[in-house]
Amino acid sequence: MKKQHTGWLGKVYLALVLVILYLPIFYLVYYSFSSGKTMEKFGHFSLVHYRVLATDTRMIQIVINTAIIALLSSLIATVIGTLGALVIKRVRFRQQRQVLLSLNNVLMVSPDVLIGASFLIFFTVIGLRLGFVSVLLSHIAFSIPIVVLMVLPKLNEMSPTLADAAADLGATPWQSLSRVTLPAMTPGILVGYFMAFTYSLDDFAVTFFVTGNGFTTLSVEIYSRARQGINLEINALSTVVFLLSLALVAGYYFLSSRAGRRNRVMTVKEGDVQ
Amino acid sequence: MMKKQQAFFFVPYLLWIVLFVIAPLVLIIYQSFQNLSGHFTWANYASYLGSATYLKMTAESVWCALVITVVTLVISYPTAVVLNRLPNKQFWLLLVILPTWINLLLKTYAFIGLFAHNGSVNHFLEFLGLGAHQLLFTDTSFIIVASYIELPFMVLPIFNSLASLPSSLINAAADLGASRWQTFTRVIWPLSLSGVKAGIQAVFIPSLSLFMITRLIAGNRVITLGTAIEEHFLTTQNWGMGSTIGVILILAMFIVMGLTGEKKKQQGGRH
Amino acid sequence: MAHPLIEFRHIKKAYGDNVVLKDINFQLESGKFYTLLGPSGSGKTTILRIIAGFNEATSGDVIFDGQRINDVPANRRQVNTVFQDYALFPHLNVFENVAFGLRLKKVGTQEINERVERALRLVHLQGYQEREITEMSGGQQQRVAIARAIVNRPKVLMLDEALSALDYKLRKEMQTELRALQRRLGITFIFVTHDQSEALAMSDQIFVINDGLIQQSGSPVDIYDEPLNHFVADFIGESNIVPAIMKRDYLVNIGGLDFECVDAGMRPNEKVEVVLRPEDLDITSPEKGKLLVTVDTQLFRGVDYQITAHDADRHEWKINSIHKTTVGSQVGLSFDPEDIHVMRLHESEQDFDNRLESYEDEK
Repeated sequence: MKKQHTGWLGKVYLALVLVILYLPIFYLVYYSFSSGKTMEKFGHFSLVHYRVLATDTRMIQIVINTAIIALLSSLIATVIGTLGALVIKRVRFRQQRQVLLSLNNVLMVSPDVLIGASFLIFFTVIGLRLGFVSVLLSHIAFSIPIVVLMVLPKLNEMSPTLADAAADLGATPWQSLSRVTLPAMTPGILVGYFMAFTYSLDDFAVTFFVTGNGFTTLSVEIYSRARQGINLEINALSTVVFLLSLALVAGYYFLSSRAGRRNRVMTVKEGDVQ
Repeated sequence: MMKKQQAFFFVPYLLWIVLFVIAPLVLIIYQSFQNLSGHFTWANYASYLGSATYLKMTAESVWCALVITVVTLVISYPTAVVLNRLPNKQFWLLLVILPTWINLLLKTYAFIGLFAHNGSVNHFLEFLGLGAHQLLFTDTSFIIVASYIELPFMVLPIFNSLASLPSSLINAAADLGASRWQTFTRVIWPLSLSGVKAGIQAVFIPSLSLFMITRLIAGNRVITLGTAIEEHFLTTQNWGMGSTIGVILILAMFIVMGLTGEKKKQQGGRH
Repeated sequence: MAHPLIEFRHIKKAYGDNVVLKDINFQLESGKFYTLLGPSGSGKTTILRIIAGFNEATSGDVIFDGQRINDVPANRRQVNTVFQDYALFPHLNVFENVAFGLRLKKVGTQEINERVERALRLVHLQGYQEREITEMSGGQQQRVAIARAIVNRPKVLMLDEALSALDYKLRKEMQTELRALQRRLGITFIFVTHDQSEALAMSDQIFVINDGLIQQSGSPVDIYDEPLNHFVADFIGESNIVPAIMKRDYLVNIGGLDFECVDAGMRPNEKVEVVLRPEDLDITSPEKGKLLVTVDTQLFRGVDYQITAHDADRHEWKINSIHKTTVGSQVGLSFDPEDIHVMRLHESEQDFDNRLESYEDEK
């Protein structure tokens, strides 16, 4: 469809869609610089809400918690997910592989509410106290399938003769794995880690179910503050989050373009929609 | 190959499948047959099927999800078509997708401000002479916010399916005498159907289960299956009933996936 | 054969019910150029993979240098392979690809440098050490793959359809080069291909494989001139294969006409098949010809004309002639007794050899 060019109507339409998509975000950012207390009337330019945010020790602690959970869970999920991709790749029979893949994807297609509720039952049954550990385990659990889905194509892309060639040249199975297979998977592993990281950062619904009283992440905190109404400190926080998201997107595209131009993974971070 | 190495590979991942995929699924089904004191019962299903409130809520939730899906589809398809014709389409697509990387709660929160009685939307409506309206705490506001949030998830798969159409097909259709409209209805639309189906999957199921948007935007009314589950688990502590609705949601999920056919799972979506 | 380097004894390979190799027996000497030739699905690559150790034989023995090696894993076999898709490691540059095997064997840096350099020189790639694999053309990648294999000084180098990804001209060039390389290194080459002209051009000995069995083995000339059966005759080169009756020794009847030939040792009036190569048929005037045919088509191919014609029995004949003829005209075909090759139906390679010996001694 390259040859057909879009008329002005199409461009106006796209512009309108983009305006709608970005309006709420810039609306938040705009009012974060207002001296007022509501998003109804702009006072005058002020950084007061940023100052409040910077001195809000509870919020800072929550940000740190969120970061720790995200870093840890994505790291562990990446290791397990990478092993998982190897497991799936090794299964010889197509049907068994299909079953494994379907099980892998259960958490990808399940609504977050269901994941949250079923994990809550699971943790209660095994007697795990809700808090840091339960949140960490949940985040690891829902991040594993995305890592598998990012790594598996790299494995499938890898010519099966590469492993033969390594053995032919004298590599033991271990050497073949570490010197040939692992390098081939690396781009997928990096992108998978990155996706897992952003999933964790953004998760609300699952965390909301399994977090208990003592432990809170950023999304849950924003939810409980938003339920109490407008608070421009949240607007200030949105600006910060928006900038961080931009940096993450840039990082992601850097990684995935390094992973190979041909198979750039055009993925939406879908932790968003529960 | 040595046994130990095999175990090292297999154990963590298979453990994950057993503990976090199979066990929770089994548990939620098991829980749906439990009453408040932990005995086996059909009562949850009986009361779900026998209660006008639950059935009405389910119907309403399905109806909302349907409207949200149709709204996003109607907006997204032309967007995907336009995007696909732009010279720098990957960049413009990135712009459409970028908002999904921003925390969902923040975007929802923005609408609390926009839809407030004295908020910008009402100012705009007054400016147009339409007068201020009660916007927050209505079903309409829920549908608008949910559609806003789901929009990129509909655009992306449609865009991908359109982008994978070889341009020679369009040329071939023109060569065989099809008008632009005929090319669209006979070639482009059928071939982009897989993208549309994937988009419907990506939008409809989450729309059934969204609960924080309903809580923040539509007030404390229970209008989706997701809200009902959340309420039963975290407010009224009736896990049996919550799990029953969860099972209903799972069934709905299977029905949607069955109806939209082709399993296109590689879109990279947890919904 | 003094001391075979590789020997297959009753090798069978099956995947479930799917039998890929039925009963393969052969002995390979060291220092020769062997070719496994057959259509795709014939089992030739499976033989190679069993030698390399990527696949295990279902039954039978693989003997290498006097030792049974069925249970030796691929990484400990003294053979190296050049893969059809080259299987170069995309994350390593040319030098590291070639050095891969040496690094695994913990060879010293100095020696690695020297050996890689020498291997690259052998394949005419000196100076390419630092190149990335993606920067190399198909032909260059092919050479890197060869260098990566020979740098390990294997006793056997196996090449799996190694030239089929190259264009025609490069393929011809590489054929000459591979043959020269094999002579220089003095090691055994096992070359797998489906291209009969490649096999004829390069090999000391060819194994024609079809249907999981060795159909015939021998030098290129033997196989071309004296194909054992219909499959070999048809697969190697172009041929006219016609049913005939062996009247008695040195006399065969084709389509009702008797012709003198050089084959013997069959029962009187035995049903046989006769092979006549298109290039052995000469076009003459109808009066001089042994056979009368009508020309159907004529294609100019540069070196000669490819002509098809039919005889009175509507049997089609392929003729390669350097002289032009006219489509639709009736011409005569002439050939010598030596040009006729008679094949018995269902004759084994052993029987064929015995029969050949019996009457060639008489002569």
